[in-house]
Amino acid sequence: MTGMLRVWASFVVTIAMLAMPMRAAAQPRPPDVDALLARLDDLYRSTSSIARIEIQVTSARSTRSLRLKAWTRGEDESLIVIEAPPREEGTATLRVGANLWNYLPRISRTIRVPPSMMLGSWMGTDFTNDDLVKESSLRKDFEARIDRRSDTPPGWWVRLDVKPGVVGRWARIDTLVSDDLLPIEERHFDRKGRLARTMVFDDIRMLGGRRLPAHLTLTPADTEGQRTEMRYLDAQFDVPIPDDTFSLSRLERSK
Amino acid sequence: MPGFMMSRIAWRNLWRNRRRTGLALTAIGLSVALVLIYDGMLRWESDWLLATTTGPMLGHAQVHAPEWRRTRAMDQTLREVPRLVDALRRDPEIASATPRVYAPALAALGQEGFAVLVLGVDLAEESRPTRLLAGNTTRLTGRRVLMGRLLAAQMGVQPGAVIALVGQGLDGSLANDLFTVAALIETPVDLVNRQTIVMPLDEAQSLFVMSDEAHEIVIYARDPARAAALAARLNGRPDLGRAEVLDWQALAPAMVDLIRLVEVAWVFVLVLVLIAAASGVANTMLMATFERTHEFGMLLALGTAPSHIVRMIVLESLALGVIGALLGTALGGALVAWAHHTGIDYAALTGGGPSQLSVFGMNWSLRIYPRLALIDIARVVIAVMVTSIVASAWPAARAARLQPARALRD
Amino acid sequence: MAWIATRYAARTVGRNLRRTALSVLGIAIGCVLALFMESLNRGRGELFARVGSSSGIGHVRIVPAGWRVRRDQRLRLADWEADAAAARSLPGVAVVTARARAQVLLAVGTHVVPVDVVGVDPAVEARTFRYVQRVQEGRYLRATESGALVVGKTIADRLSAGVDDEVVATAVGSGGDIQSAMFRIVGIVSTGSDDADMSVCQVARGDVERLTGLSGAGEVSLVLDDFRQADAIRLTLAPRLAPGDEALTLPELAPEIQGHFEQDAASARFVSAVILLIVLLGVASAQLAAVLERRREFAVLSAIGMSGARLITLVVQEALMVGAAGALLALALGLPIVWRLARAGLDFRRYLGTSYAFQGVLLDPVIFGDFGMWIVPYVFLVAIGATVGASLYPAWYAARTDPAVALRVAQ
Repeated sequence: MTGMLRVWASFVVTIAMLAMPMRAAAQPRPPDVDALLARLDDLYRSTSSIARIEIQVTSARSTRSLRLKAWTRGEDESLIVIEAPPREEGTATLRVGANLWNYLPRISRTIRVPPSMMLGSWMGTDFTNDDLVKESSLRKDFEARIDRRSDTPPGWWVRLDVKPGVVGRWARIDTLVSDDLLPIEERHFDRKGRLARTMVFDDIRMLGGRRLPAHLTLTPADTEGQRTEMRYLDAQFDVPIPDDTFSLSRLERSK
Repeated sequence: MPGFMMSRIAWRNLWRNRRRTGLALTAIGLSVALVLIYDGMLRWESDWLLATTTGPMLGHAQVHAPEWRRTRAMDQTLREVPRLVDALRRDPEIASATPRVYAPALAALGQEGFAVLVLGVDLAEESRPTRLLAGNTTRLTGRRVLMGRLLAAQMGVQPGAVIALVGQGLDGSLANDLFTVAALIETPVDLVNRQTIVMPLDEAQSLFVMSDEAHEIVIYARDPARAAALAARLNGRPDLGRAEVLDWQALAPAMVDLIRLVEVAWVFVLVLVLIAAASGVANTMLMATFERTHEFGMLLALGTAPSHIVRMIVLESLALGVIGALLGTALGGALVAWAHHTGIDYAALTGGGPSQLSVFGMNWSLRIYPRLALIDIARVVIAVMVTSIVASAWPAARAARLQPARALRD
Repeated sequence: MAWIATRYAARTVGRNLRRTALSVLGIAIGCVLALFMESLNRGRGELFARVGSSSGIGHVRIVPAGWRVRRDQRLRLADWEADAAAARSLPGVAVVTARARAQVLLAVGTHVVPVDVVGVDPAVEARTFRYVQRVQEGRYLRATESGALVVGKTIADRLSAGVDDEVVATAVGSGGDIQSAMFRIVGIVSTGSDDADMSVCQVARGDVERLTGLSGAGEVSLVLDDFRQADAIRLTLAPRLAPGDEALTLPELAPEIQGHFEQDAASARFVSAVILLIVLLGVASAQLAAVLERRREFAVLSAIGMSGARLITLVVQEALMVGAAGALLALALGLPIVWRLARAGLDFRRYLGTSYAFQGVLLDPVIFGDFGMWIVPYVFLVAIGATVGASLYPAWYAARTDPAVALRVAQ
């Protein structure tokens, strides 16, 4: 159960990241923070997308790899189908609005996930609800200022402090952005000021016409040996997707 | 007068007035019998509380990976469980040890998924009397499972239905398969009835890719009273590694509270019962002795030393008390033994009240099997003896100090 | 001639004061013991009432249609304000409070805990839910406060958070979407029981409405002046509720606890019977002993012409007097004891610690006795019942005695 929703969660973050526009690299001058935040926010936007992603979850006792294909439309519809490993090939998750279904090819069953487990299972992932709530916006929710220059890797450390009244887990985020305004590292601090997790972005490539980090590693701060990695193999976004993609019958026929 | 003669006189006195003696013996005997019946119930209550709280789910002690109780995470497991269980079973203080797997999962009959707990157990072990699945005769082979009755009602499952189970394997993979519900179960543990699917341990291990691991080993000690000491000793064993061993009192302190509350209440009442019995015996003795003032006067007039009179009276009363107590013990003991053999339905006995009791998510059936320990009998007999002596010595002393003439007149 | 028996009885009683005094004392002690047990038994109900009044369960609860079958926290009352007003208008209702519950995920950083949050009316809640009086750190919720959270210690520990820390609460909204809100922990409750601690998670009711998008309350809980009125009040209330809403009493709300108390009451009855039996035995045997010693006396009376019937009357009247006197002494001794029992109660705290959690319900292990009008008739019934009952055999025996035989054998 948790695995499936991990896939779901990671898919969301993936898709969010795909929608980042390209910008020409500028000289090492501190960037305009407002514009920077707007750009980082727009990393997470897309009207629709189709992507193939590889995920690896490392824990103290095991390492697990998945390859999946994901379709999304708007904020309410998504379909994820697992392509590898062979044991799980064909397993699919469909989300339409408030409903979440899983299709299990091995037993040829479609099962609807009860709302209470939807909520609870989010916690099983290394990703938090904040990652899934599309309304979160760095620009609107945080006060940002350039903290200092970094030479290796070259870039700027930006400090974001959450504005009062904002609903979210992070009181502070320290972001290292490269000179061409792509994220390199993010450190998330919880509401007590403790470092909770670190996200590292690398492997910058062209994906679906956009230049962005294709590899993301998320490491929680207080769990030994725990890590989640995502790698984007290919992507297209803002593409038309047939309506019947997000349907149960499609789910069962999915490939 | 030599002591021996005094005893014989005392003895003969007793039987001279058969009616009075018979009356006293009846009163004492019945009181003692009643006290022993109460004692029998009290002992049973303690035994029963212990057995029913520790029997099905808790055991006398449990072994877990250090963080499992707090997080309930699937991957907090005990490794090399078969070897551990073997080693534990060979421990002289341990009667039995059995492993369990706890895995949260999603179960679905049709399309609707329900959050459930999959419990992997050693079916043979747990079907033994007083255990979780006591009385279960269903054999589970080839992907058959047992489902809690309340869960089945909620899901609309009948025996024979095929359900899908989906969970997360220890290797992170998606564990899913179809299972047939062989039977519905009703256990003493509410959680099991309400939310659990029971399957054989190896089945659970294979479904959730657990090789030879488990989440919990339940231990039953030969002497339950020594559970805490046993747990402490096991904690030091090197082959258990970092696993924690806790006795049932540490695992369920609320149970301990409940048991203690019940015991305290019953003991309190026992004191009341003993006082009632003692006062009855005392009253009888006092009354009987005072009524014999005339007789004492006669003896005094004939030249008997007052101290002899007192001694005789006391001996009589003591004999009366002891015989009465023994008779009562015979009666009470017989009743308790019979009740222990057949068991009494509590509800019928107390004229109402439930025949099953749900406490802490466990259902206890109220069938009584009283028993007595030697100390109970000793306690009552001594109480009667002391009461008899005190209750007769004082009035006898009083009477013996009277002027014979005055006493005769009474 | 009838008076003769009575006067004789009176004189007998007066003549042998010691024996009489002994009888009376014996009866009195037995009666006091029986009285003590009975007072405890009647007081047991008070414990049950306390469960309803201090555990948050309430004596009567108004719930939405369907809740009885499927205890779904997301169900809401058809018209909770009207229901609450109807409840308040009834006499005998001490406290009325409305609550809304939700399944929520609390998160601090990467620490997450799923909990059942209860949206309450802070001003009233403390009067129905004793846990909230055990705020170990910080304070309880204030009326009209929003965004404040009171949690049990176990929850705070799992979140690795303390007073004044901010927590994100996430719930499934009414449309099935995921909603979040920020809360600040203002108080941490420690009940002494892990289970109970996990169940304490309170916010203002309005906050639950905002978080879930479900408006109104899911339950209206009533605490009564006299818990015994629960059924009557439920009947009166039922027709005044909004359509679909229904009123349940404590046994339906917490059947496990009901079962426990039923069993407790049944045990108590059994024990009372045992004690009463022993008391009766004691009194009867003492009386019998006394009467049996008076064979000669009865023989003389019989010889001088007293009829059997009158002898019986004599014995019975003596018994009545002694019984009555015993009852009066029992009252004199027992009333202060029972009164103290009703006031201070039997305090088991010494054996159990300051409180005792049962099924997530916290109770003070103090049992209060009952003090009421029932005491006087009860004592008289036991005393006189025992003595007169005990005197029947010797009365019959006395009447049957052949005077010649009795007088001949010196006893």
